Order: sequence, then C-alpha cells, then structure tokens
Amino acid sequence: MCKIHFQIKPGMLMSPPGTSAHVQTCLPMEEALELPLDDFEKTETTTGSKVIKYEYHVLYSCSYQVPVLYFRASFLDGRPLALKDIWEGTHECYKTRLLQEPWDTITQQEHPILGQPFFVLHPCKTNEFMTPVLKNSRKINRSVNYITSWLSVVGPVVGLNLPLSYARTASQDEGNVN
Amino acid sequence: MHYPIGLLFDLLASSSALPWNITVHFKSFPEKDLLHCPSKDAIEAHFMSCVKEADALKHKSQVINEMQKKDHKQLWMGLQNDRFDQFWAINRKLMEYPAEENGFRYIPFRIYQTTTERPFIQKLFRPVAADGQLHTLGDLLKEVCPSAIAPEDGEKKNQVMIHGIEPMLETPLQWLSEHLSYPDNFLHISIIPQPTD
Repeated sequence: MCKIHFQIKPGMLMSPPGTSAHVQTCLPMEEALELPLDDFEKTETTTGSKVIKYEYHVLYSCSYQVPVLYFRASFLDGRPLALKDIWEGTHECYKTRLLQEPWDTITQQEHPILGQPFFVLHPCKTNEFMTPVLKNSRKINRSVNYITSWLSVVGPVVGLNLPLSYARTASQDEGNVN
Repeated sequence: MHYPIGLLFDLLASSSALPWNITVHFKSFPEKDLLHCPSKDAIEAHFMSCVKEADALKHKSQVINEMQKKDHKQLWMGLQNDRFDQFWAINRKLMEYPAEENGFRYIPFRIYQTTTERPFIQKLFRPVAADGQLHTLGDLLKEVCPSAIAPEDGEKKNQVMIHGIEPMLETPLQWLSEHLSYPDNFLHISIIPQPTD
C-alpha cells in the first residue's frame, strides 16, 4: 500500500481527500509485499511557501511478521529531506522519545522492492503495542482492522495522520475481521 | 549501499585482481539511490538493526532482547575496532540454539544478483526439515532462486559465492549460518555469472 500526500511548510496540512481509500487486511505472506492501494495525491498552489511531498508505503516484514511503515519526503524539485528535517516536522508529543533514541526508532533502509533509500519506522516494538489492542477487542467482541489500528498508532509519529473515515470504512467492511 | 564490502566485491568485482581499485566520488551524492551515512551513529544503528532482524528470524528476538544495552555496544565496538574476542564474546550467544532444536527458527540470508530488478531475495526458510533432516545450500537455492542452479545435466551457468568462495551445495544451511555469516549475522550470498575463461 502506498500513499502520497503533500504538505505545505510550515505545518499547514491539507484536508484529507474525500474518497475512501479502502484498507486491505494484510494476510501473512512469506515475502515483503506491497499491496496495491488507490494511491491518491492532493496538490494546492501557494505563493512563497515550500511544498513537501511525502510518500508512505506499507510493507509486510516476514522477519518480524508485522507490517512496516516505509516513508520518504522530498521537495517538489526532487531534493530529498534529511532525517533531521523529518524529526523536526513531527508532533511535539513524539519529539522527546525521538530525541532520546532517534536512530533506534527511525532508520534508513533500502526499500526491498524499489531498492531506493527510505526511512523506516522500526518494527521491533509493533507486536508489543498491537497485542493489547487485539486482546482487548476480542474481549469485548469487537472486530478490529489490524492495519488501520496499527497505522493510526505509527502514522502520526511520522506525519501521516489517518482520517476517521478509515476507521468508519473498515468497520463497515465485513470482511476485515482479525 | 550499506552493503558489506566483501559482498560488494563478490557481486561486482570478483574477477578483478586484488587490491580492488575503486573510484571515490566527493560530489553529486545520489541521494535518491544510495543510503547516506551522516554519522558513525547512523552506521551503528544500521548494523544493529540488521543484527536485530537476524535474531528476530533465528530466535524470535529473544536472545537480542535479553541482552543489555552494553552488550549491544560491545558487539558494535568489537566490530568497529576489529577486536575478534570482544565481538565474539557477544556474538556467540546469537549463534546458539535450544538443545531440543536442531538449529535456528529461520535462517537470516539475502541473495543478490546483478541481473535482476530486485535488490535482493529474502524469505522465510527453515534450516531443518519436518523429518529432522538438515536443509542444504542447494535446498535453499532450489526453493527461493531456482535459476541459480544448473539443471542436472546442464552446464554450470552461475557461481554461488559467499565471502569469495563457492561452498558446496551440499553444505548444511545451519552450519553456514553459524560459521559463514557476516558480522551482521546474515548470510549474504552472491549469484554471479560463471567466468568464461
């Protein structure tokens, strides 16, 4: 799955697009796989401010057996953003953790399919925070879409805010029960 | 590309005589294609993230997570300062497996070929079969990269290289993982065309 969105510096986010990009549940697969998703873009013209293009890919890690968020950011002329610019762009509440152990949380890796450098949110803690979510939902007999829940936790750390419409769509879609 | 130097040599220059002459560029860094290494910390982080991934495959991350931060540091410092004993004091724990098993859970490996689009092949592969038999290097290739091995009666088209040598295809994968892994605990395997001379 991949999504591209544009952000105008400083900090002004575009309203999320109205179309519901449906989220597919990841089936366990023996490969780092990219699931195709309607990838949607939104542009806005501005005067004087810089536009940054963010690209997010959700892949499945067979080593950790969880989804992993790969991302990169660049200016419209193609110049990539450095990791420190991305750190600076994250929300205040995540900054403390990031500053303490920046490299443990986000590393730069080769995209397993494209071969290009992407930043990666390290997947080693994913099981740790997803297990209580799944356990709890089973307890109250409520279906949860793994990917939506996971993405709503990790996305905001790197500037990917998930609109509520994802959760609504996921709960309507009967097939996505974990 | 953050690849171990030995791997780069096997993959790109194995037919060259040593010393390997390389051209170092100081301008126009290809940001889009290569990982930049802004600091020693970045390299350490990349190395540790490979070691962690390898342990996730071998031991469900149990061994690496049981270690203290100072052990992780010792692993990196041992590598950085070329101190074999310092490195292996920690690394040997990553090479152990429970007595009741015959090997690791899965083998950390990556297969590289210059002829394909994909940067590398990495899949889940067990070192031991259901019947207890040890899987070999040949078994691995047959399963994940069948084009690498020549058919029974056919001509050998490729070399399967690790650390500059061609291990026999009958070698048990578990043994290769314990003894021929790179410091990041991965087996980096190059498939290169057979030299024609």
